[in-house]
Amino acid sequence: MRTALWAIILKELRQTFRDKRTAALLIVAPVIQLIVLGFAVNLEVDHVPTAIVDLDRTPESRRFADGLVAGETFEMKGNVDTGEEAIELIDHGKVCIAVVLPAGFERSLGDGLPTQVQLLVDGGDSNRAIIAQNAATAYTTQVGFRLAMDRAQQQAAALGVFVKRPALLQVQARILYNPTLNSHIYFVPGVGGTLLLVVTVIVTSMGLAREKEAGTMEQIMVTPMSPMVVILGKTLPYALIAFVDLGLVVAGGALIFKVPIRGQLWLIGLAGILYILTTLGIGLLISTVAKSQQQSFMLAFFFMMPAILLSGFMTPIANMPHWLQLVTHFNPVRHLIEVLRAVLLKAATFSDVAPQLVALGGLGITVFLLAVMAMQRQLK
Amino acid sequence: MSLDEHVIEVRDLSRKFGAFTAVDAVNFDVRRSEIFGYLGANGAGKSTTIRMLCGLLAPTTGHATVAGKDIARDPVGVKRSIGYMSQRFSLYLDLTVQENLQFFAGAYGIGGKKQRVAVDAALERAQLQDSRNVITKSLPGGVRQRLALASALIHKPVILFLDEPTAGVSPDSRRDFWRMIRGLAREGTTLFVTTHHLDEAEYCDRIGLMVDGKLVALGTPPELKREHVAGAMFALADTDHRALRAALAGDARVLQIQPFGRRVHLRVDAALGTPVDIQSMLTGRGVAFGEIQRIEPTLEDVFLELVGGAS
Repeated sequence: MRTALWAIILKELRQTFRDKRTAALLIVAPVIQLIVLGFAVNLEVDHVPTAIVDLDRTPESRRFADGLVAGETFEMKGNVDTGEEAIELIDHGKVCIAVVLPAGFERSLGDGLPTQVQLLVDGGDSNRAIIAQNAATAYTTQVGFRLAMDRAQQQAAALGVFVKRPALLQVQARILYNPTLNSHIYFVPGVGGTLLLVVTVIVTSMGLAREKEAGTMEQIMVTPMSPMVVILGKTLPYALIAFVDLGLVVAGGALIFKVPIRGQLWLIGLAGILYILTTLGIGLLISTVAKSQQQSFMLAFFFMMPAILLSGFMTPIANMPHWLQLVTHFNPVRHLIEVLRAVLLKAATFSDVAPQLVALGGLGITVFLLAVMAMQRQLK
Repeated sequence: MSLDEHVIEVRDLSRKFGAFTAVDAVNFDVRRSEIFGYLGANGAGKSTTIRMLCGLLAPTTGHATVAGKDIARDPVGVKRSIGYMSQRFSLYLDLTVQENLQFFAGAYGIGGKKQRVAVDAALERAQLQDSRNVITKSLPGGVRQRLALASALIHKPVILFLDEPTAGVSPDSRRDFWRMIRGLAREGTTLFVTTHHLDEAEYCDRIGLMVDGKLVALGTPPELKREHVAGAMFALADTDHRALRAALAGDARVLQIQPFGRRVHLRVDAALGTPVDIQSMLTGRGVAFGEIQRIEPTLEDVFLELVGGAS
């Protein structure tokens, strides 16, 4: 029994590391993908290409425009003379936002009249459009307040009287857990969850299909090995590799993207084990249906796409319709990502992530048992 | 343990798949150290029988024992006592020769020092001592076949099942392979071989012939030829089988006329025992013929006779 199990594990590891491509898929690819996806999946908005339409051409209008592009958010791409030209630039994708300062900007401000600044925003990328618009609005409000203060003080000085500062209500936002709004911190756990999914589901399902194609499955079946030994022998090595990958992703996230590790790592380990149980089970289930490696790959893909989309990796689950939110409770990727985020960023304790762990455990045991039953039926 | 001991006993063994009966109430015994050939066309029920006898498939009705173990009640016991090699020589092509042998030894629970001994013995049997670290994929077909045989024997099974073992192998390798098979039988291993090469079946001690799920003939090759191919057979050179058939039409002594390569096989009543008898029968019938030779019927003739009768 133990001899047979060890024989299968050794054989799987030998085959995996003999084929350079599989070995690379399992060990190197997760790290490279973490880096590539980590940099690519970046929701921070800065260096928004910006055009200025200064119809006033006065010191005040120039000061406004210079101040706008002085920060990180906007990047000056050029001055144009008319609003039409600005729209043309947006049309061609040269700029994403154009700020129109009307003629008489300085004089109107000097007279204390309501003065308007027009924003032209490319709404094609709605996330970037909203953030750019908010940033431009905030800047305009700030300039308006400074002008009001300056004017009040000048008048007070001219009259030789003391005036109180005008009342001011400000929002003071303090962002917890991720004060710099580093979006890598949000994404690295997601990348970890999806990578483990790919490694475990694809490798298990294709590994068994390969044996069917080569006829070695038949040869295994005439040996006295029990179906359980075959299943364990064909999953344990990949569970171990996936576990190493999880460690690599957490370590890579910390070293490369400065993702903090605030909580206890054993919670991540436990969640990882339960998660891998589910994904390996799905791999086994696919392999009982698929007749070839190609079919396995397609089926694995059909499972993985929705699992990733409904995991909260890219889009918040809270934004999904209610019925779809219910569906995500059956998605192991969702629970793993939640545990990773909570433990890494919020130092969550066991009781904090207990619901997710229970969900992962329930899914893991159910799916793995189903897979074992399906496999046993097939191996008999 | 006598040589007459039955290592396989099959009684009324049947297997149905839905309404289709793949194996229909088959009965036979296989004696220790015998080479038993199981013949039949594709779909005749050979594979289904072998799968049942290897403990892979439960019978619908009837029963069988293999190495003293009941195939339905103790399939694991059956698997421990048998070796199995399919026509695909199911080896891991990305593993080395030695790694394949180590895996199959381990799969039969042979570990540690015993495994090293078993692997070395298998390497010697397959004459692959110098290629133990060669990746299996780079071996030619005949060598792979030797390796597959050695790995099927690694746990010293009482019975070895060979399912179409020589499909896709060169004639030279086939001859070598049968030499090894006969050597195994001499050492006391029982061999159960399926094949559709009728010339190979001549090497078997006894033969069972399957047609449409039924065992229609059972016996040694000479017995089968005697029982199922009546009369005397002659080979006629330089003659046309259509002309011969026309010339002999209505002659009750003629049993069968069949073209065979560039010759014609003529089977007649046993009373006509010599080429001279044939010559006198054909003389004056207006048909040209060359040399006449008395020949022994082949298993092919047995097969044609039986399959012809069944259809």
